[in-house]
Amino acid sequence: MKKVKVLKGVFFAGRHLFLLALALFWLIPIIWLVCTSFSIQPGINISRFFPEAWTFENYRLLLFNSEDTVARFPVWFKNTLIIAIFTCLISSSFVLMVSYAISRMRFKGRKALMNIGVILGLFPGFLAMIAVYFILRSFGLTNNHWGLVLVYSASSGLGYLIAKGFFDTISETLSESARLEGATEAQIFRKIIIPLSKPIIVYTVIASFLAPWMDFIFARIVLNSGIATDWTVAIGLYNMIDRVLINSHFARFCAGGVLVSIPISVLFVIMQKFYVEGITSGSVKG
Amino acid sequence: MSRFLGFFQGLAADFMQGDIFVKLSALFPGAGYFRRRQYIKGVILTLFQAVIIFFAITVAIPYIAKYSTLGTVAHESFFNPDTMKNEINDYDHSFRILLYGLISMIVLAAALVIWLRNIRSVRALEVRAREGQRITSFVEDVKSMRDKRFHIVLLSLPCLGIVLFTIVPLVVMILVAFTNYDQQNMPPTQLFTWVGLQNFRTLFSNSITISFGYAFFKVLSWTLIWAFTATATCYIGGIMLSMFINSAKTKFKQVWRTMFIVSIAVPQFVTLLLVRNFFATTGIANTFAAQWGLTDFLRNIGLIPETLTNIPFLTDPNWAKVMIILINVWIGVPYLMLIATGILMNIPKELYESARIDGASPFKAFVHVTMPYMLFVTGPYLVTSVVSNINNFNVIYLLTNDVFTTTDQALANANAQEVDLLVTWLFRLTQNFYNYKMASVIGIMVFIVCAVFTLVAFNVVLRRNKEDKFQL
Repeated sequence: MKKVKVLKGVFFAGRHLFLLALALFWLIPIIWLVCTSFSIQPGINISRFFPEAWTFENYRLLLFNSEDTVARFPVWFKNTLIIAIFTCLISSSFVLMVSYAISRMRFKGRKALMNIGVILGLFPGFLAMIAVYFILRSFGLTNNHWGLVLVYSASSGLGYLIAKGFFDTISETLSESARLEGATEAQIFRKIIIPLSKPIIVYTVIASFLAPWMDFIFARIVLNSGIATDWTVAIGLYNMIDRVLINSHFARFCAGGVLVSIPISVLFVIMQKFYVEGITSGSVKG
Repeated sequence: MSRFLGFFQGLAADFMQGDIFVKLSALFPGAGYFRRRQYIKGVILTLFQAVIIFFAITVAIPYIAKYSTLGTVAHESFFNPDTMKNEINDYDHSFRILLYGLISMIVLAAALVIWLRNIRSVRALEVRAREGQRITSFVEDVKSMRDKRFHIVLLSLPCLGIVLFTIVPLVVMILVAFTNYDQQNMPPTQLFTWVGLQNFRTLFSNSITISFGYAFFKVLSWTLIWAFTATATCYIGGIMLSMFINSAKTKFKQVWRTMFIVSIAVPQFVTLLLVRNFFATTGIANTFAAQWGLTDFLRNIGLIPETLTNIPFLTDPNWAKVMIILINVWIGVPYLMLIATGILMNIPKELYESARIDGASPFKAFVHVTMPYMLFVTGPYLVTSVVSNINNFNVIYLLTNDVFTTTDQALANANAQEVDLLVTWLFRLTQNFYNYKMASVIGIMVFIVCAVFTLVAFNVVLRRNKEDKFQL
């Protein structure tokens, strides 16, 4: 009897030690990021994992040193925030509008629209980017934050699948009874479906808000003037670990990475709950 | 197709049987509405007609006229004795002709559809009027936009965005695949023109100067290997991790989950750039590997060449490929863990119960209950995730750009590398070498690969699943 208990204890400890090892393995880069951001050495310290001495200097330089022309973190943060807010407004309304129409309404061409959406998803996004660049340029929108907002949000209607999956799960009898009471489709959308859809709205809003913080490739194509004050956080940080700058700015890159990760992590943790709901319900209903 | 023909038969009948105003509306689309006292609609259509005619004369026709050649007047600068300055002639810009010509054709086609359908609606109005039915007012028509035709309100702006920022650019780039648009033929200083299927022939040919055929098959095979390995490793890893955490024997479930989520909450470009420096040739991973004797050990068993004093994590083709897949596991497993956790909790308990009563071991329950259920629910997700891995630009680009240089001369001739996916190759061709024509051809190939895979997967895998017992 006692033997079994001991054996169970060993298995219990082993199981949790294994998880701890895995978790540590997953956290090593994050720990390295945080530690290096406090390092006294501005470049990469290749001989030690933890810094020799700890300092807030990297954060101070990043946030309050306006002489450094390549590290304008506060400006980048402001740029990205503005772009993210407008992208979020346009994208989330587009996504919700398209997914409501496709999920709850029946009209001619609905199936065709969905098929076109699937086909468009099979093309690599960058292929279109060159032509998008020319379209933006003919409207004078390159090196312009509005141009980037358009790039992020104009085609966002294509990402309707998850929200559609959610709308599919709302009972049709609700809309039916509202229709009998004389409600128009617009009223059903505004007064019945939207209030019931808080989880998917939160998910859509956060997901579209996060996109500009994560992307750097479209940003680099659109904002290509090389003027540091135009950049977003992602381009700015990417530029900091350029071959020329990496030895003087790596610690500051880490500090910037930490600073931008804090708000994103908070939003992400809120979002992931809804992400799971959306993915699972969306794929079951198809 | 029959609907298409039916429309034109109906149109012809309407036109022949309609009164003079129906016939007139072929010339002046507003005419029929003025007759039925729908003045606002009449004015709107007349204005629309004026705008379209103006657009056709000033923009559409000049651009479309040059479409067959993509421009003939080359860019020249000459000295103007009157102004004493160098001036530039009124040259043709091939790319602008390609782009604006396409937009013009789309606008004109849309106008044509509106024009033809308008004749039918005018005729319908006439029939209603003759039968003594009430004709809806403009205000009522607008009101129906909030009800029966609400989808038009909802869909028009998003669709306009998709047309302008996805469909038009894609079609333009597909057209570029049939031109000679590259560094030697770059507007505004040079013209480019149609070359038919020549670029597709280049992609499959090998000669002393061209090595695209060799590079294409090499990159394509790595793209496919990558897409399937990356999807499979993350999928299996994620399910195992989530089952391990969700097991009744594990304590502090939420703590463990949060620890894994933290690693994906940090933006990918930050972690990937960080990891890339972690594994750099003179990076910290190499320092430790040398200190612990790992480098010597690997050299002794022949996994790294004699000449190297460090581990070529991201600089040797084979090492880099393995590292990329491992790093991708690091990125992808927490995501899959999140998804799998949600699904595992939804598996009907009765399924396990009956499996237990039938005497199935936990392992058997996993193989016969958990996995089929997971595969059923995540089937569509798996298919799309292979496609998105074929197009997974971030991981490869951020890990290998500026770090990896190929030593294979034939690949380098085609501006490709061993670790390139089709999309990163495409990206480099456009950004560094301005070889738009070949980039477009590769883009079309990516589409074909993704389309074939999706069709096969959905037809074979998912059709079988539809008859599955889980769909109750």
